[in-house]
Amino acid sequence: MKAGLEVHQQLAVGKLFCQCPAELTEEVSDAFTRSLRAAGGENRSVDVAAALQASRGLVYRYEAGPSSCLVEMDEEPPHPLNEAALDTALTLALMLHARPVDEIEVMRKIVVDGSNTSGFQRTALVAVDGVLEVSGRRYSIPTICLEEDAARKVRESPGEVTYRLDRLGIPLVEIATGPEITSGAEAREVAEEIGALLRATRHVRRGIGTIREDVNVSTEGGHRVEVKGVQELRRIQEYVEGEVARQKFLLELRDALLRRHARVPSDPPRDVTDLFREVPSGPFAGAGRGGQVVLVVALPGFAGLLRSPGGHEERLGRELADHARSAGLRGLVHSDELPAYGVTETIVSEVRARLSLAEDDAFVMVTDRSVERASVALRRALDRARAALEGVPGETRDPLPDGRTRFSRPLPGRDRMYPETDIPPIPITAERLRRLRAELPERPEELEARLARSHGLPGEVVRQLVYGDLVGRFESLAAKGHPAGLVARLLTQDLPSVLSGREGVPAFEPALEVLDAVLGAAEAGRIAKEGVPTVLGALAAGAPNVEAAIERAGLTGFSRDDLVALVRRVVEANAEMVRARGEAAFSPLMGDVMREVRGRRDGREVSETLHAEIARVRSQATG
Amino acid sequence: MSDTPASDVWKELSALPTGRHVEITDPDGRRWSGTVVPRHDFSGDRVLQLKLESGYNIGVRIEPTFRYRLLDSAPTPVASPSRAPPTASPPGAGAWIALLTTGGTIASRVDYETGGVRPVKEEREILDFFPELEASGRVRIVPVFDRLSEDLVPDDWRVLAEKVAATFAAGARGIVVAHGTDTLGFTAAALSFLLVDLPGPVVLVGAQRSPDRPSSDGASNLRAAVEVAHDSRIGEVVVVMHAGPSDDRFAIHRGTWVRKMHSSRRDAFRSRNGPPLGTVDGNKVELHLPVRAPVAGPARVDGPIDTRAGLLWFYPGLTPERAARFAEGCRGVVLAGTGLGHVGADQLGWIRAATARGVVVAMTTQCLEGNVEPYVYSTGRELLRAGVVYLGDLLPETAYAKMVWALGHSSDPEEVAKLLTRDRAGEFHKRHGPRDPS
Repeated sequence: MKAGLEVHQQLAVGKLFCQCPAELTEEVSDAFTRSLRAAGGENRSVDVAAALQASRGLVYRYEAGPSSCLVEMDEEPPHPLNEAALDTALTLALMLHARPVDEIEVMRKIVVDGSNTSGFQRTALVAVDGVLEVSGRRYSIPTICLEEDAARKVRESPGEVTYRLDRLGIPLVEIATGPEITSGAEAREVAEEIGALLRATRHVRRGIGTIREDVNVSTEGGHRVEVKGVQELRRIQEYVEGEVARQKFLLELRDALLRRHARVPSDPPRDVTDLFREVPSGPFAGAGRGGQVVLVVALPGFAGLLRSPGGHEERLGRELADHARSAGLRGLVHSDELPAYGVTETIVSEVRARLSLAEDDAFVMVTDRSVERASVALRRALDRARAALEGVPGETRDPLPDGRTRFSRPLPGRDRMYPETDIPPIPITAERLRRLRAELPERPEELEARLARSHGLPGEVVRQLVYGDLVGRFESLAAKGHPAGLVARLLTQDLPSVLSGREGVPAFEPALEVLDAVLGAAEAGRIAKEGVPTVLGALAAGAPNVEAAIERAGLTGFSRDDLVALVRRVVEANAEMVRARGEAAFSPLMGDVMREVRGRRDGREVSETLHAEIARVRSQATG
Repeated sequence: MSDTPASDVWKELSALPTGRHVEITDPDGRRWSGTVVPRHDFSGDRVLQLKLESGYNIGVRIEPTFRYRLLDSAPTPVASPSRAPPTASPPGAGAWIALLTTGGTIASRVDYETGGVRPVKEEREILDFFPELEASGRVRIVPVFDRLSEDLVPDDWRVLAEKVAATFAAGARGIVVAHGTDTLGFTAAALSFLLVDLPGPVVLVGAQRSPDRPSSDGASNLRAAVEVAHDSRIGEVVVVMHAGPSDDRFAIHRGTWVRKMHSSRRDAFRSRNGPPLGTVDGNKVELHLPVRAPVAGPARVDGPIDTRAGLLWFYPGLTPERAARFAEGCRGVVLAGTGLGHVGADQLGWIRAATARGVVVAMTTQCLEGNVEPYVYSTGRELLRAGVVYLGDLLPETAYAKMVWALGHSSDPEEVAKLLTRDRAGEFHKRHGPRDPS
């Protein structure tokens, strides 16, 4: 297999073509609707992806608020390109040893899924021919681009998609690698290295969705497939491996279909609405009423191959349904999954009889109120079935949360860019490059070396700080005089343990001052190191400040005297064991004591106190 | 180092025609290869614009030490026509409307390779571009001009009016005029005064976003305009454009009431002094105010016009000398005065002199809403005494178009003043409602 990555990172320098804040917001002050047309290019065919989208005839609703202006609404020409964003892109280009172009020309890339109010995305090629070294391997970086992010999809209903304009226009740096990656693990490693480089500029946005990856995967005998918009670096491996497996499955499926001489006829669909009039529930209920039709087509030789042959996770039936959905339908039903959905064995037999199907033959059917839409959906499903006879169709797929992917659209063609006439070319002067070269940020490996050197931290901890995007906070807290080890532990262990325990709850991002106060309390002995996660948990659960969190966690009022008293009580209760086993009694008793201390005193202090008490009891026994 | 004179490589490269495929190599052996595209107006010195294989355009600064070679033997045609052969709209019976094209954004498109804008002229090309045009019936395309609206002059208003009358005479049921938006308000007002006995609607329409963009408002504005052009209740000149930022609601403005109130918004066109005549909601034409009904016709142009008219915006610091020079050679001057229709007292001298020699001086308000009123302040009373004609709530542009029309109808200043103040196309609002009309 071969894979290449496209990493898209949002920048935190304001929007690319206007002065709106690059902030997502829940505030909506205005809404409006638009429709987009696939504009015919000058004397050339309409781009295939663009045409597919436009044919869906959707209405796009847009929500505007404090993070958008007339530029995002496509009601005002773009303002001049954000110079800070360009500086960041050029900085990355220099860090990747790439060659900046002499003059940047902003282009319009046609996108008619509604995610851009203009119907195109503004994008510019900034540099070419870079190189990235990861674990001793070199990867080419053919292009570094600067482009505007799309609007954020917030809702979807039949016939209408709602986008919020807050994300539209946030600058994105796009870094593409050559197709030189040979495994999922390698893909992940390269993505992480690029992520660290991006963060080294200190001008990137942080948090879920601020970095997105497209992964291009092709396998021997397969085809290039683009998995678009993976949001978590650590899952890249999973998607790459999943796609490799899917392509392998499709190739095996093709062989099985060819052995059976399966074919996809081009007969028009049959209207079998009359058979479904009595279906009481499910998608076919209501057939014959209000214009709802049921259309069916035969797939000779496909029986049994539409649903999971050999228990494989992938299914051709699902692919067909995804294509039918692209025409605006809920889905499609195939004979391998019947009887179901209120469709009885009798109806199935009748359909099979009408189509004169043999045992090996399958059928697919759809239902909709529009004959035209239903026909288009079936045609798309049949096109996909036809592609199954060839193997792997080249396409763009959406990553799903369960690690699988789903068809979204055909691979876009190449001819969908033309110049953005509202922005003049931008020269990249030698002087600008000199200035940026002089101010290049520390590279991730330099940063690692420096942190290890100046703070005496172990290599693995430093790596976690650098690749976990924690250096900024680490350095700020260390600069306040907190011990490096304690800060690193807080950021790499204590905080993640709180976060991972809170799935589905909005990410807990304590302010720097809060972390400062937690560390201060630990250093002053007011809470033990072991109590830090408990305090963070209380803060995440809504404690207004650190004092309240310590209170709520029940970590107050346990003094040194209380500890001594507790230890004395535990040891005396076990005096017999202490006398019998001596120092060997320490371990079981330490466990008992720590359970009661609950992080209110430092572990070392507890252990010293216990040792002392055991010694005291033993000395009494011998004395 | 090469001995070639510094400009040679650049000279040769910059002389290459669009579409040539070149590879450029710098002294370090680094290469660029791509297709030559037209140079951008604002490109830097010695910068060659290339379209790369990826589709991106970039600029390469050509140093004297660079070398190049051509990768093709003949220019690759950047675009090759693949359109269907032109077919005129089918002749025969049935109602049809006409689309008169004058140029402007709505009838221009971007060349996808170069980014340059060029006008669309061919009938088939326009119908290909706006397939929805024929959705509600037959449409005939009548090219009139091919100019941006800021390049149109009052004489063009007359030519356009003649074309409208002739097209009605040829049997059109309604007429749509595709027009650049910058001066669309002027043309709409001028046609309102020039055209009489209209048998159907004359609908001016434009686009604030060029039609090559998927988001262009041109197609939906045109569709709405065609709907209005089919409406048999309307016998006057109207403007149909977006009513808001959404693509499904359009306003129908009276030609004399409308003004472009924003440089770029889709809903830039607003009726002043009151609500628009009606709306198009989806495909439904709704009229909220009485409109002039169609008459049997034939439509006529009530010319001629006299272009010796001027429109002068008063501002603090406008010297009477400068204003007087502006009025030279004019038979009529429309003033856009402040507030209720005022200019500085020092302007009275040249105004008195102008009216004394037979120049018609008319007053409108630069507030763009509300009546002018000469009696409230002394300046107004002085101006009235100086012979200034007060024009109610007419927009300055509408008053100017009316002046051009009125001057063509009489050489007598008093007669011109009468024509100016008499309602002709429903241009005056008799009352102003309490609702904010914006």
